[in-house]
Amino acid sequence: MSTREIFDSRIESGLLLLPTLLVSIVFLYYPTALAVRTSFFDSSFGQADEFVGLENYVTLLTDSGYHSSLLLSVLFAAVVVIGVIAVSLYLTFLIHEVDTGQGLYLISVIWPYALPPAVGALVFLFIAHPTLGVLTGPIEALGVDVDWFNNGPQAFVVVALAAIWKQIGYNVIFMIAAMNNIPDTLTETAELDGVSGIRRLMSVYVPIMTPTLFFLVIINTIYAFFGTFAFVDLLTSGGPSNATNILIFDLYREGFSFFNFGVASTKSVVLFLVVGVLMFVQFRVTDKYSYYGG
Amino acid sequence: MVQLLQYAKRQANALRGNQVTETTHDARPGTHLQLWFLVLLVVFPIVVAVIVSTKETGVVTSLGDLLPGSYAVENYREALVDYRFGRFMWNSLAMSLVIVVGKLIVSVFAAMAIVYYRVPYKDLVFLFILFTLLLPVPVRFIPLFQLMNDLGWSNTILAITVPYIASATTVFILRQHFLSIPTSIVETAKIDGVGPLRFMLFVLLPMSKGVLVGVSIIMFVYAWNQYLWPLIIIDSEANQVAQVGLQLLQGDVQGGQLSWSLVMAGSTLTLLPPLLLMIVFRKPLLETFSIQQK
Repeated sequence: MSTREIFDSRIESGLLLLPTLLVSIVFLYYPTALAVRTSFFDSSFGQADEFVGLENYVTLLTDSGYHSSLLLSVLFAAVVVIGVIAVSLYLTFLIHEVDTGQGLYLISVIWPYALPPAVGALVFLFIAHPTLGVLTGPIEALGVDVDWFNNGPQAFVVVALAAIWKQIGYNVIFMIAAMNNIPDTLTETAELDGVSGIRRLMSVYVPIMTPTLFFLVIINTIYAFFGTFAFVDLLTSGGPSNATNILIFDLYREGFSFFNFGVASTKSVVLFLVVGVLMFVQFRVTDKYSYYGG
Repeated sequence: MVQLLQYAKRQANALRGNQVTETTHDARPGTHLQLWFLVLLVVFPIVVAVIVSTKETGVVTSLGDLLPGSYAVENYREALVDYRFGRFMWNSLAMSLVIVVGKLIVSVFAAMAIVYYRVPYKDLVFLFILFTLLLPVPVRFIPLFQLMNDLGWSNTILAITVPYIASATTVFILRQHFLSIPTSIVETAKIDGVGPLRFMLFVLLPMSKGVLVGVSIIMFVYAWNQYLWPLIIIDSEANQVAQVGLQLLQGDVQGGQLSWSLVMAGSTLTLLPPLLLMIVFRKPLLETFSIQQK
């Protein structure tokens, strides 16, 4: 079949693959295996590891603080994913609709792709600061007492908004490509049938874009679980009273504030399972719907 | 492939600001208005950051205070020199460039072996590389921290570059691209008796310029924006990267030693490199993204 395979030296191909395989094994597979091993030990700074079997897992199963962190992460992921998809989809639709200035509109909404999360976090901290923030006055004029350094739900909203803002760019990049691929005849037919505006988006475009949207749901979920660490660390440090203590921040604190490497490793293994399930779902779902992509 | 070309053409048109000729329906007047409003929301936080970075103090408590000040030169000088942001930026640049160049070389090698060599088990090897997608930094930073201590790499550029060199994403994108290079060209090379090194340098790389630029930008943005891992593994200020340097600035603000205008100057500096690269190379970047999703 494939006539691309023009070389057949095993030694050469082995040498070409060696750097990637070596780094993968030493810095990706080995540490992961080590995390699994350490999750069965009582391990912390300045003491010998002691085998404790499943004790760390039992600790997590019975730790109500960890349970609320897990629930919080799921809620946070749901809010971020829905927020990002909704805002990006509408923005993409508007850009797709206009005839002039498309290029300029596009670049002014996809730039947050390049935004460092740490920068995004600090800028948000500044504009929404309870005493200094430039947005605080206008928001308080609406009758809301801006107090997210002490108010848990408000802190959750601020972190979620910052996280959504950063992820819009990446989503619009993929959505505009998918929307531009929709045949114009379909748009014209829809217009003739009187399906216009937001209804055309929801009942014509969205179904066709399903594969892309599923891909983005998974990517955004992984982002919400893992990519938002800087926002939590710089905006709230997990507080107030754990209102923004999502799994990744909780894991960081377990390891580098409390130095419980055993329990922290157990939490890493749980996170690994979370990524695993998400990836599995992505592959299954894209498989199922791939005929749309044609 | 046809889809890809169509996509590229439309994208190119859109970016040049040309009309997408197939779009026959007229945009309603409200569309531009809504776009302006949403673009303003997406851009507003950064505009505030840039404006504040030019003011004497960071006190901006109402929208009326949002006029540029005259302290830009002084603030940026102070951030770069007195608060060592020049040093942090340099460290970030070194880290990002080593990661980009290292990943490019290593991934071109791996993808070439996977596509152009007839050797057993190469599909298995490809799966083995792809599987590392399940092992992001958050899953393994606890054991990786211990491994770096054992290797004596903590606090060095090795620690923040080498673990990133193996890249499932880059190998995947390059493989997809190599598979789209016409077999006729590959066969001609074979008939001419071109060896692997010359094939890579004179056939493969020249035919992959766009993709190589695209993945370089993706990798640069990814490397430059890393926050969690440098925060953990680098503990001397002289070796610190810009993302974590921002956190140090923020600590000084909370302590009251520093004005917000300096933090915003640091944030603006940290945002600039990935943002400029993205804007300049947006075309190959967007085309490369469209390969990633396939």
